[in-house]
Amino acid sequence: MTEQYLSGKRALVTGAGQGMGTCHARALAARGAFVVCADRTITPSLNELAAEINGTASGFDVCDADAARAAASPEATGPIDVLVLNHAYMSMGDFLDYDEDDWWRVVETNLTGTRNVLHAVLPGMPEGSRIVVISSEWGITGWPEATAYAASKSGLVSLVKTLARELAPRRIAVNALAPGVISTPQLQVDASAAGVPLEEMIDRYASEIPARRVGQPEEVAQAVALLADPTLGAMTGQTIQINGAALRCRV
Amino acid sequence: MSGTVIVTGAASGMGRAIAERLKDAGHAVAGLDLQVAETAYSAIVDVSDAVSVRQAVAEAESELGPLAGAVSAAGHYQEIPFGEIDDATWRRMLKVHLGGFRNVAAAVLPKLIEQRQGSIVVISSELAIGGGGGDAHYAAAKGAQLGLMRSLAAEYAHTGVRVNAIAPGPTDTPLLAADSRWREPAYLATLPSGRLATATEVARCAEFLIDGPEFVCGEVLNLNSGAVI
Repeated sequence: MTEQYLSGKRALVTGAGQGMGTCHARALAARGAFVVCADRTITPSLNELAAEINGTASGFDVCDADAARAAASPEATGPIDVLVLNHAYMSMGDFLDYDEDDWWRVVETNLTGTRNVLHAVLPGMPEGSRIVVISSEWGITGWPEATAYAASKSGLVSLVKTLARELAPRRIAVNALAPGVISTPQLQVDASAAGVPLEEMIDRYASEIPARRVGQPEEVAQAVALLADPTLGAMTGQTIQINGAALRCRV
Repeated sequence: MSGTVIVTGAASGMGRAIAERLKDAGHAVAGLDLQVAETAYSAIVDVSDAVSVRQAVAEAESELGPLAGAVSAAGHYQEIPFGEIDDATWRRMLKVHLGGFRNVAAAVLPKLIEQRQGSIVVISSELAIGGGGGDAHYAAAKGAQLGLMRSLAAEYAHTGVRVNAIAPGPTDTPLLAADSRWREPAYLATLPSGRLATATEVARCAEFLIDGPEFVCGEVLNLNSGAVI
């Protein structure tokens, strides 16, 4: 049985409805946390997840500051000890031809949406809480045709560094994870965009990673669980890269 | 995967805490140290001596069973102005830290590659990331460990063996002198965490790198109380 070091703790995971977010919620619940599973809307699968891990489902759009402030407030969720900011929106396009509304939608969702949820949750966070922000390898490396996504994700790294310093008096540790290529529904989107079968897309990615495979969402979730550990207070303001030794990028 | 984990510097400080944590996690721990370690297997070894390290690793494996990995934690610290570091002192620092890591990695790698899994962890230092004054030989040796770690990670990732580092900031262990500048309240007040890191926290990170997700490879966990962000 997994060590129950989050017993009695309350966690909120955004973007819990699919992919990595679902795994983060499960990983925290497996260590004893009560998990508020948040996503843009409450879908049957989000309800199923909440039921599976004895948590609760919460639906709000992170881009809507008022909605986020209401739904993720301490009054609505109870005080949150572990906040996992995992929601993301991604699109790609040539920098000069990028649809302006879509470009801003990426930044608004990933960066402003994170700020909105933090605004809602922070006032109620107890001393010694943990914040985990999911950035991205592309936020460190940059990536062609991902200007909005890369900018938003590297903005998250700077946000984490700054909040680590700003929240130090409250002993709230703030850290980021920068996953490389992970097996999530996004890979199917990439495959469709490239016009190739999913298997071939995965092979293409794997061939460029020294570990010769893509990562699994459960592996990122294990790192989330590490950063949620209340005994690990001396790690703050850091970014952990999870990329199978894809070393051409550094924080 | 439970198995035998080699821990250098296992008799005290971080190495000892790591050995205890890995034992609690179900591993058989072999301690290599200049002193006797309270581990399932213990050998008095100077890690800078490649032959002794290789012999001890082979003996530990035959006594305790198949290798799961290694943690290179042996080391010493000295504060000396750069101009006063003589050749022998400079070389000793490199031989223990860079050489010790190289020796234990070289000793366990053939078996780990054969098994197509395993994890090697080196305890580097925040001084390798952020630098500082007054301990150039230590910072250089700790930085060299990170270069070697990343090279090994890239070279062996395809075999399923992963290599990572922890870069602790000032940590509350016997290695940190009672009158260290890093124990002064004025320094601690500058740290976002407001305190030194603990050997227990280093051990938590080491367990994560030994037992945790295999896609974490070539990475440094910066456990430094926010000293370098």
